[in-house]
Amino acid sequence: MPAVLEVSTLVKRYPSLTALDGVSLHIDEGEIFALLGPNGAGKTTLIGAVCGLVRKTKGSIRLFGVDLDVDPLTPRYSVGLVPQEINFDPFFTVRESLDIQLGYFGQRPDKARVDELLEAMSLTSKADSPTRALSGGMKRRLLIAKALVHRPKLVFLDEPTAGVDVELRRDLWAYVRTLRAKGTTVVLTTHYLEEAEALADRVGIIDHGKLLLVEDKRSLMSRLGERRLEVHFKEPVAALPPAVVGGALSADGRVFSFVEHSGSESAAEVLALLFAAALPVADVQMAPAKLEDVLLKVLREGERT
Amino acid sequence: MNVIGAKTLLAKEVRRFLRVPGQTVLQPLISTTLYFVVFGYTLGGRQESVEGVPYVQYIVPGLVFLGVANNAFLNSSSSFFITKIQGTITDLLVAPLGPPELLFGFITGAMTRGLLVGLLTWAVALVFTGAHLVHVAGTVVFLCLSAYVFAVLGLLAGIWAEKFEQINFFPTFLMLPLTFLGGVFYSVRHLPEPFRTVSLFNPVVHMVEGLRAGMLGLEEQSLLGLGLLVGLAVGATAVAWQLLRTGYKVKS
Repeated sequence: MPAVLEVSTLVKRYPSLTALDGVSLHIDEGEIFALLGPNGAGKTTLIGAVCGLVRKTKGSIRLFGVDLDVDPLTPRYSVGLVPQEINFDPFFTVRESLDIQLGYFGQRPDKARVDELLEAMSLTSKADSPTRALSGGMKRRLLIAKALVHRPKLVFLDEPTAGVDVELRRDLWAYVRTLRAKGTTVVLTTHYLEEAEALADRVGIIDHGKLLLVEDKRSLMSRLGERRLEVHFKEPVAALPPAVVGGALSADGRVFSFVEHSGSESAAEVLALLFAAALPVADVQMAPAKLEDVLLKVLREGERT
Repeated sequence: MNVIGAKTLLAKEVRRFLRVPGQTVLQPLISTTLYFVVFGYTLGGRQESVEGVPYVQYIVPGLVFLGVANNAFLNSSSSFFITKIQGTITDLLVAPLGPPELLFGFITGAMTRGLLVGLLTWAVALVFTGAHLVHVAGTVVFLCLSAYVFAVLGLLAGIWAEKFEQINFFPTFLMLPLTFLGGVFYSVRHLPEPFRTVSLFNPVVHMVEGLRAGMLGLEEQSLLGLGLLVGLAVGATAVAWQLLRTGYKVKS
């Protein structure tokens, strides 16, 4: 698959801080890539360097195969950005803001396209309202509409759902999946790890300006993710079947806990052994692997190295 | 060049100031008209004449210039500065808009406001003094050149300023002395030395004299003055181009 974005040994130094410390990354066409990391890790700086908001110190950035040092503008016709900070121009209405944005990207007025996005972002009823009259969540949705109105091939969503209510967040996720289905590449940063878990094909974890890991989400979860199994018994159990390796029985013999991780027996195998031994199982609870746990694990390992 | 992008920015700039006409057009029109009434009809202006024309008529080109220069400057400086403060500069930086598109949009938008206020001031003056337009081409050149130079200077101020205090610095400490000492209300040619020679370094003097020559047929249009203004326009544009290209004070 061709790379739409190739970042090579990118460095951004501020007088008192190295925000990006030799980041190399490629984003493939049509994927949803989630960039995760704590506050101040370098996520927004990386996106800013690609989108023209940040002046890099060293390294190279190629967008759609074009080196931005050679031609910083042509590739931008196909890029959209939802910035982290909410901004709006109080002089204009929602519809006018979208018309202006379309024009900036060299496109003629397109009412049908603007209507489509207003609908998708649930802003149709506010189309002719001044932007200053919008709520925080609506302003965020307007930012998303502005980033998408010119039909970019690559979209950066920097914390796109901060301050957006749960229902609209789900709607946005659905819309991002629709974008992907149409071939749009999406790079996402988010504090809601659930969001990355729900959407991403690949995950990159960044901290202190260094990219600690880039991996397919599923393989990452199965490699580093842990699933917790908890079995409650109707009456105290004296001992577990000898075939059950790992896990722990509570002191009162009523609860058995087991953590499934890469290389261990699967939770299903352990459960099958308990049932085969005819133990008096009352309830089974399974906590799925969480990207959050994986992130913390990688960040802790990053701290140690 | 992103022609649609540049035109969109221009249209946005014009719509922006037309949204608040009381502040951007009417207010400067009233204040300039008040200058006209106070300086032209009081303070003995009614009786005096300068270089053979009544004083009230003599100050019209300077007052038209004041409207053009102040409003061209204020439009580009405040628009670019506010764009930075409210964060919508991001929209411009992410879009395929380079220095040519940004310069075109901000400068032409500011010139539109400056020329609109200047021409309305002129229209008011015509009621009092009657129509006087000796050289059409010369007048148009100096009106546009004045609007252009102050639009670029305003843009430079907007790029540079980071705080409201800084953006408010220019009207008081730059525009006011330059214009009031620039022969708007008098002829610098009649000043004693060394004030006469010193005044000739003020570009406003050449703009006002150029307009006066065009509108009233007074004073010879100085090619040196014209060259100075063109040089100032080119130099200021080159600096603004470079600042926009490198993202001075807008990119981190």
